Amino acid sequence: MASTVIGAGITVEGEITTDEDVVVSGTVRGKLSAKEAVTIEHGATVEADVTGGSLVVAGSLTGNVVANERVDLQQGARVIGNVKAARVTIADGAQFKGNVDMDV
Amino acid sequence: MAQARTATHRGEGAQARIGGGARVRGRIHGDGDLLVEGQVEGDVAIRGELTVAEGATLTSKAVEAQTVTIAGAFEGDVAATGPVRVVGGARVRGNLRGSTVSIDDGARYSGRLECEFELPAELGGSARESRGRAAARR
Amino acid sequence: MANNASVIGRTTKVRGRVTGAVDLHVEGFVDGEIAVSGDVTVDAHGLVGASVQGRRLVVRGAVKGDLLGEEAVVLEDGARVVGDVRAPRVAIASGALVRGYVETGEGNGAPSRASRGEAARSAPQVRAAPPPPKAAAKPAAAVHVAGGGGSSNNSGGRAAARRPPPPVVPALKKAKGQIAKKKER
Repeated sequence: MASTVIGAGITVEGEITTDEDVVVSGTVRGKLSAKEAVTIEHGATVEADVTGGSLVVAGSLTGNVVANERVDLQQGARVIGNVKAARVTIADGAQFKGNVDMDV
Repeated sequence: MAQARTATHRGEGAQARIGGGARVRGRIHGDGDLLVEGQVEGDVAIRGELTVAEGATLTSKAVEAQTVTIAGAFEGDVAATGPVRVVGGARVRGNLRGSTVSIDDGARYSGRLECEFELPAELGGSARESRGRAAARR
Repeated sequence: MANNASVIGRTTKVRGRVTGAVDLHVEGFVDGEIAVSGDVTVDAHGLVGASVQGRRLVVRGAVKGDLLGEEAVVLEDGARVVGDVRAPRVAIASGALVRGYVETGEGNGAPSRASRGEAARSAPQVRAAPPPPKAAAKPAAAVHVAGGGGSSNNSGGRAAARRPPPPVVPALKKAKGQIAKKKER
């Protein structure tokens, strides 16, 4: 289990910073920065700029993303915002609106 | 402190005891321990341990003692040099100050707890410190 | 996965509000208000810089803010709390340190059956006694970090100076429609 879990039913309004990984199943509004993996699960709502080692999105994300390694937008993801990472994958069935920047 | 406690439990030495049927109105002071089993109305200043037994009532503006244990009803302010304990089932209203203050589950309590300690630096350390900082910022 | 348990991990810092309908476990630092309808545990390493509200609160770490438990507040050995504590049941272990106004029972939830009559009788007086924490408890919760609100003698300018940081909420919602135009910050 991830060290930080924003479970379904929890809302964080503000800024989350961590050296570890984060799983969001609930709602985050504000800013989210992690050194490790960030997972935005199906059903989660994130309205925040997100930075992390890597990012997996299956839920809804509105905000700009910067990841050191990779960003995976999975099927069912809804992402509005700019994505910056060395590797970006967008699965079939993911909705995405924004710019992708892969020259890191 | 350990000695004082022993004295309390053995009912010897400098212990005072207000028995179950007794009512006292007035100030009680001394070097030893005090066990209240009856009803006391008045200030208490003792060097030892104060115990308000279950079923007993103590009403005072000011209580000074080394350690205080309340199992009965108490109304007033306590200033102890040692620990203060409110036992489950006790009914207490007033401010409590001690080296530590504990309140058992099931006790009814309202009042302010005071004990000296500092919060972690992330939370601004002690209240006094943060007040100092607040002043410094201005 | 872990849908019911929310955890603020050890190295995690949250600046802002945490709300919700489930349980929350704080092992890191929440510099802001917590208001959930489930249980809240503030771990031995956990820090909370503002008020905490929940069904049952268990604190082993440090809190600078008011604790309001719908059912109970349990301060365990190692807890350090500067703030007011209110719940139908309050338990404070001898190794817990508290500075603040504490109130158990009536008005904070279900009255304890044993002393209901006595509670009703003494209630008005008790309620009237602590105006500072009362006033500070609800409306100011978001900005009330000074916690020891009850201490009218020493809480002076603290509330203003030591408020938690305002939630840092960028205007992302507004940006929804015009995201294309949005510039990188």
